Amino acid sequence: MKKIRSIGAFIQRIWSHKQGKIGIIMVGFLVLVAVLAPLIAPYDPYDVSQRAAKGLPPSSHHLLGTSISTGQDIFSMLVYGTRVSLIVGVTSGVCIAFVGSILGVAAGYLGGFVDSIIMRIVDIMLVIPTLPLVIVLTNVLGRDFWIIILIFVALGWTGLARTIRSLVLVLKNSNYVKAAELAGASRWHVMVRHILPGTSHLLIMSTALSSAGIMVAEAGLSFLGLGDPTAISWGKMLADAQGGGALLFGAWWWILAPGLGIFLAVFSFMRLGIVMEEIANPRMKQTSSVYKIFKSLDSSYIADVFNSMDEYEQLGVTESAGGGETRETNA
Amino acid sequence: MKYTYVIKRILYSVFVFAVVITLNFFIPRIGVDDPAERYYPPQGNMSEIEYEIIKQVTRKQYGFHVSTWQQYTNYLEGLSRGDLGSSFRPGSPSVLGLILERLPWTLVLSVSTMLIGLITGVLFGVLAAVKRGRWQDTMLLNASTIMIALPSFFIALILSFYLGFELEVFPAYTDPNMVSSFSWALESIRRVAQNAALPVLSMVVGSVISYAQGTRNAVIAVTNEDFVLTARAKGLKQGTIRYKHILRNSMLPIVTSLGMSISGLIGGQVVIEQVFNWNGMGTLFLEANNSNDYPLMMGIMILLSGFTIVAILVTDLVYVLLDPRVTVGDKR
Amino acid sequence: MKQMLKLRNLKVVFPTNYGVIRAVESVDLTIGDRECVALVGESGCGKTVTSQSVMRLIESPPAITRVDSIEFDGKEIKDYTPKQMQEIRGKDMAMIFQDAMTSLNPVMTVGNQIDEMYMRHQGDAKKAARKKTVKALELIGLPEPATRANSFPHQLSGGMRQRVLLAMAFACLPKLIIADEPTTALDVTIQAQVLKTLRGMQQGCGTALLLVTHDLSVVASSADVVYVMYAGKIVEKAPVKALFTSPHHPYTVGLMAAVPRLSDEKRKFTQIPGTVPHPARKPSGCYFHPRCEYALEQCRKEMPPLRKIGPDREVRCYYPLRVGGEERE
Repeated sequence: MKKIRSIGAFIQRIWSHKQGKIGIIMVGFLVLVAVLAPLIAPYDPYDVSQRAAKGLPPSSHHLLGTSISTGQDIFSMLVYGTRVSLIVGVTSGVCIAFVGSILGVAAGYLGGFVDSIIMRIVDIMLVIPTLPLVIVLTNVLGRDFWIIILIFVALGWTGLARTIRSLVLVLKNSNYVKAAELAGASRWHVMVRHILPGTSHLLIMSTALSSAGIMVAEAGLSFLGLGDPTAISWGKMLADAQGGGALLFGAWWWILAPGLGIFLAVFSFMRLGIVMEEIANPRMKQTSSVYKIFKSLDSSYIADVFNSMDEYEQLGVTESAGGGETRETNA
Repeated sequence: MKYTYVIKRILYSVFVFAVVITLNFFIPRIGVDDPAERYYPPQGNMSEIEYEIIKQVTRKQYGFHVSTWQQYTNYLEGLSRGDLGSSFRPGSPSVLGLILERLPWTLVLSVSTMLIGLITGVLFGVLAAVKRGRWQDTMLLNASTIMIALPSFFIALILSFYLGFELEVFPAYTDPNMVSSFSWALESIRRVAQNAALPVLSMVVGSVISYAQGTRNAVIAVTNEDFVLTARAKGLKQGTIRYKHILRNSMLPIVTSLGMSISGLIGGQVVIEQVFNWNGMGTLFLEANNSNDYPLMMGIMILLSGFTIVAILVTDLVYVLLDPRVTVGDKR
Repeated sequence: MKQMLKLRNLKVVFPTNYGVIRAVESVDLTIGDRECVALVGESGCGKTVTSQSVMRLIESPPAITRVDSIEFDGKEIKDYTPKQMQEIRGKDMAMIFQDAMTSLNPVMTVGNQIDEMYMRHQGDAKKAARKKTVKALELIGLPEPATRANSFPHQLSGGMRQRVLLAMAFACLPKLIIADEPTTALDVTIQAQVLKTLRGMQQGCGTALLLVTHDLSVVASSADVVYVMYAGKIVEKAPVKALFTSPHHPYTVGLMAAVPRLSDEKRKFTQIPGTVPHPARKPSGCYFHPRCEYALEQCRKEMPPLRKIGPDREVRCYYPLRVGGEERE
C-alpha cells in the first residue's frame, strides 16, 4: 500500500514540476497515438490494397505524400510507427529495469562471489561495441520483433545494474536495513522488502531513460535494414527514404517526418527521466535560477531591505527611543 | 604503490579480452551443430547428397571437420599469430587483410571526429561555464537536450540533403574513386577531405555538444569547490586560477567519460558509414553481415573489442596519472 | 593604537526563491594593529559572510552587498577593482579556512601551493620560492618540511593540513589574517596545538587577527576583543575578560551558560530555548526576543540599536544585564 501511495505522490510531484508536465503530456500524446493508430491514420499501411501511386507529394489525400518505393501513405506509416517505437522502447525499458535491479541488488547486497561474477559480466559487456553485437545477434538469433527486444534487454541491463549496485551499497549501511538484519530477517526478505523499495525512484527514472535509449537503438537498427522486416518503424522509413531517393527528388518531408517522430519520442521520455532525476536528487545549486532571480529583481524592494537595516548608533549616555524603559548606564 | 595498480589493470584487461574472444568464437555457433550450415544454408534445389558433399568440402576448407574444442584451440593459435581466419567470400581472402584494407578509412573519420569534437567541445564548455547563466550557457543547455534525442544518422540525412543535394557543397555519397585512385598527392587528399566532410560533420555535432556540456558541468562543479575560494583569497591572478586550479581538476571527469563513450562512438560510426557509403570497417561489417560471412564479422568484432579495451585501459591509466588520490583497487 | 581594519555598515543579502536572506545586517567591525578580534556566533549567524566580505570575496550573484566603508591599513578598499583586490589579497590580508582538506587543491602538492604565493606576490622564481616555502613550513611546525612540501594534501594528516593553511596565510607576512573556524574540523588535542601555533605566529609576525568561531574556549584563550553576532547583527562587543566576567546581552549569557564547566556542581545542561531564526524569516523587533527570558513589549516592537555602554563595550539590548553591577531579574 505504502509503495503505491509513494509512487502516486511521485507522479504528482512530476506533474507539478514545470518540465514534468510537458513530459507527461508528450508521452501521453504518443501513447494515445500508438493506441488509436487505426483511427488516426487515414490508411492502413500494412494493407497492400491501400497503396497509391508512388512518390506523390503531400496533398489533401496524403498529408505527407506517398513513398517512392511502395506508394504507402507516409502519414499513416508515421502514425503506425509510433507503435513499434513505443512497444520496443517501453517493453525493453521495463525489462531492463527488472533485470538490472535484480542483478544490481544481488551484486550490491550479497557481495562476494555473486558480486564479482555480475560485475565481471558487466565489464565484459561494456567492452564489446553494442551496435555490432546487436547486429551479430540478430543474424544468429533472428530478426523477429520479440527477439530484438530480448537482445536489447540482454545488452542493456548493465548500466542500470551498476548504478543500482552503488545505491545498494549505500542502503546496505542504513539503519533500517541493519535493524532488519539484527531482527533476524532473511537476506531474501531484506533484499525484497527493504532494499528494493529504496531503489524504486531510480528504477522508474531508468525505465524512462532506457526506453529513450532503446528507441534510438531500434531506429538505428531498422535504419540499417536489420530490424523486424514486417514492422513499420521510423528507422526503416528513413532507410526507405534514403534508398528510395528522397534526397535526390527533394522529398524532404519523407525524411523529416520519421526523424521528428524519433526525436519526439526520445525527447519526451528523456524529459520525463530527467525530471524524475531532478526530483529524486534536488540540486541545491541552481545557478541558472539565481541569474533569473537577479534579472527580475525589484531594485526598490532591495533598497528598502537595505534601508531597513540602518539604524543610528547612539554613543554615550542613552536617550529613550520613544516608549519603553531605559536603563542608566555607567558611561 | 601505483605500479601494482597499473599491472593489475593490464592483467584484468587481458582477462576480459580472453573472455571476449571466447564469446566471439561461440556466438556464430549458437543454434547450429554444424557451422558449415551457416556458410551454406540448405537450398531447395539441391539433393541431400549434394548438400552433404558441399558441407564436407566446406568443413575441410574452414577447419570445421575437427571437434569444437579443437576448432577453438586452432582459433586461439591462429589469433596468436595474428591470423583472424579466412573470410567466406569467394577466394577466401584473409580476414585480417580485408580489415586492414578498410581500417585507415575508418580511422580518418574517427580520429577527425574525436579531435575536432574534443577540442571544440572543451572550448565551448569552458566558455559556457565562464558565462554561466547567460545566453551562451542556456544555448548550450538547450542544444544538449535536443541533441540527446536526435540520432546522428538523422542529422546525417538532413546534412546530406541540404549540403549534399540542395546546395551541393559537399558530396552526399562517397566518391567510389576516392579509394581506388588514392595517392598521397594533394589533389587526392583534398578529395578525401571533401568526401569526409559530411560524415565527420554528422558525427561531430553530437560529439562537440556532449563534450561541451560535460566540460561545462565539470568546470562549474570545480569552481564551486572550496579550494577555488582559497585560490581567490590568495590573490592569484584570474588566469592562474582558471588553468592551474580549475581546469586541471575539471579534466578528471572528462577523461573518464571519454573512455566510456568509445563503444557508443563505434556503433554510431557504423551507421554513418552506411549513410554515406563510406568505405570503412563499418560498411565492411554490414557487408559481412549481409552475406553471413561469420569469420569476417567475428574478426571485426574482435578488433573493435580489442580497441575498446585498449581505449578504456588508456583512459584509466591517464586518470591515474592525473589524479594523485587514486590508489590500488579504485573502481570508478 | 592604529586601526588595521575599519568595517562600517556592512549589509549582505541573498535573494532566493524563498525570499530574501538577510545574512549580514549593518555590521561594524574594528580591528587594531596586532590585535586579535574574535567574531563569535552560532552557525548561520552571518559571521562567515562577514569575514569573507572583509576581503570582498562574496560574489555578486548570488549576493548583494552594500557597505559604507572598508578601510584597511588606512586605505579605502571598498571600491577597489578586482585587479587591485588581487594585489592585496594574500599579500596584505590573508584567510585561513575551516576545512583544510577541501580548501587545498587536491592535484597540486602543498609545496607548489605555497610557492604560488611567493611567485605571485614577491616575484620569485620557482627555486627561490621553494626555499621560502620550506622555511615557512618549518616555522609552522611541520616535520621534514623539505620532503613534506612534495606531498599532496590527502597524504597529510588533518593537523598538518591545517598548518599548511596557516603557512600559506602567513607566507607573505600580511598585516591582517582572517581565520574562519580554523580549528573546528580538528580533534580536540590538535585544536590546542594549532591554536597555539596560530597565536604564536600572530604575535611573532605582528599581524592583526580576525578569529571567526562558535567555540567560546577558542575565544577565551586567544582573543583580545570579542564581537558577538546573532542573526546577522552584532549584539555585543567587549574586551575578552570583561565579556566572560560580566556579559551584558542575554544571548551572550546564554552562550556561556551552555558551556559545561568542570567547576559546576551537578547541574543540568542549560540550553537557550528555541532555535536560531530562519535567515529569510526573522522575527519583528529584536531578533532574539522569542528566545529571551527577559523580553518585554518594546523588544517585540522595535530593533534595539547598538549602544555604547563603556569605553570599549557595546550592547544591542534595551535591558542589558549586569550593567552598573546590578543583576536584572
